[in-house]
Amino acid sequence: MVREVAESCVDTMLMEMVAMYSGRFYANKPELAARRIEAIGYQVGHQLSERYTMERPRFSDHLEAIKFICKDFWSEVFKKQIDNLKTNHRGTFVLQDNKFRWLSRVSVEPSPEKETEDPSTPGESKAAQAVSMYLYFPCGIIRGVLSNLGIPCAVSADISSLPTCSFVIRVKA
Amino acid sequence: MIVCVAVVGHQNNPLYIQSFTEADDALKLHHIVHCSLDVIDERVNNPKKSGTTLNEAFLGLLYPTLNYKVYGYLTNTKVKFIMVTTDLDVRDTDVRSFFRKFHAAYVDAVSNPFHVPGKKITSRTFGESVGNIVRSYTFN
Repeated sequence: MVREVAESCVDTMLMEMVAMYSGRFYANKPELAARRIEAIGYQVGHQLSERYTMERPRFSDHLEAIKFICKDFWSEVFKKQIDNLKTNHRGTFVLQDNKFRWLSRVSVEPSPEKETEDPSTPGESKAAQAVSMYLYFPCGIIRGVLSNLGIPCAVSADISSLPTCSFVIRVKA
Repeated sequence: MIVCVAVVGHQNNPLYIQSFTEADDALKLHHIVHCSLDVIDERVNNPKKSGTTLNEAFLGLLYPTLNYKVYGYLTNTKVKFIMVTTDLDVRDTDVRSFFRKFHAAYVDAVSNPFHVPGKKITSRTFGESVGNIVRSYTFN
C-alpha cells in the first residue's frame, strides 16, 4: 500500500505550522513555539517509525538504527538518502543532507545593511533564526523515530549554507 | 484455533488483549500471556540459544503447555505480540504470516493521529480486523 502526499501540500503545511506557532500562538516566546513544533514532529516520527521498521529485523546497536534513518527512512520521507554521516563513536552522530528538501525552496533575502561583511549582523541572524524555526519539525521527527526504537536522544540542526543542513544527534547515555 | 492474542508495549504494559473462546477462561489465558513475557525477555537477552533467528521479529514457539502453544513476535519498537493457540500441529510459516498481518493491523491502528502512544488500543476497527485475521487462521 503506497499513499503519497503532494509535496506542495507538505511544504504549505510546514510553512503554516511555523507561521501559526511562532506568529500567533506564541508570538513572543520563540522557545515555546519551537518546543511545540518539535513535539508535533516527535509524534509524527514516533508513528512513522512504527510503519517503516515493520519488515526488518531488530537493530542490534545504535549505529544500525542511525543507518536506518540515513538510508531507508530518509528515502521514504524525502526520496533521497543522507549524504554524509559522521560519528565520534561516543554517542554523537552528524547527519548531513546537501539538499534538504524542506529547505530547498527557502531563500534568504540579502540584508539591506550590506556594507558590513560581518556575518553576525542583525539582519542575517534574524534570517537564520527564521530558517531554524523550520528545522524543529524534522528534528522532532528524528527524535521520535529514535526514541521509539529505544534510543533516547537530543537532536539539533544547523545550517551553514542553504540548502545544506546537518542534524546533530546526541544519544543520552 | 487461536484462543487469545495480545499486544504488549515496551514497558510490558498491556495495549490490547483479547480472547476468542466461548468458555469462561479469560483469566487463565491472561495468565498464560503474562508468563510468556518472561520467556520473551529471556529469548531477547540470551540470543545464543535461538541461533540463526538472530534479531528476527518472529520469536517462534515460546513454550508449549498441555493444551496450548504460545508464540511470540517482537517488533523493532519493542512491542510484543503474543498468540495462544490450541492447535498442537502448527507450521511456523503460517504463524509467521499470521503475525505479519497482525503487525500490519497494529501499525494501522497506532498510525491514527488520535491514538495516544502507550495507551490501550480502543479502536473498534482494530478489534474487527484482528478478529478477522484470527478467524482466517486455523492451523490444520
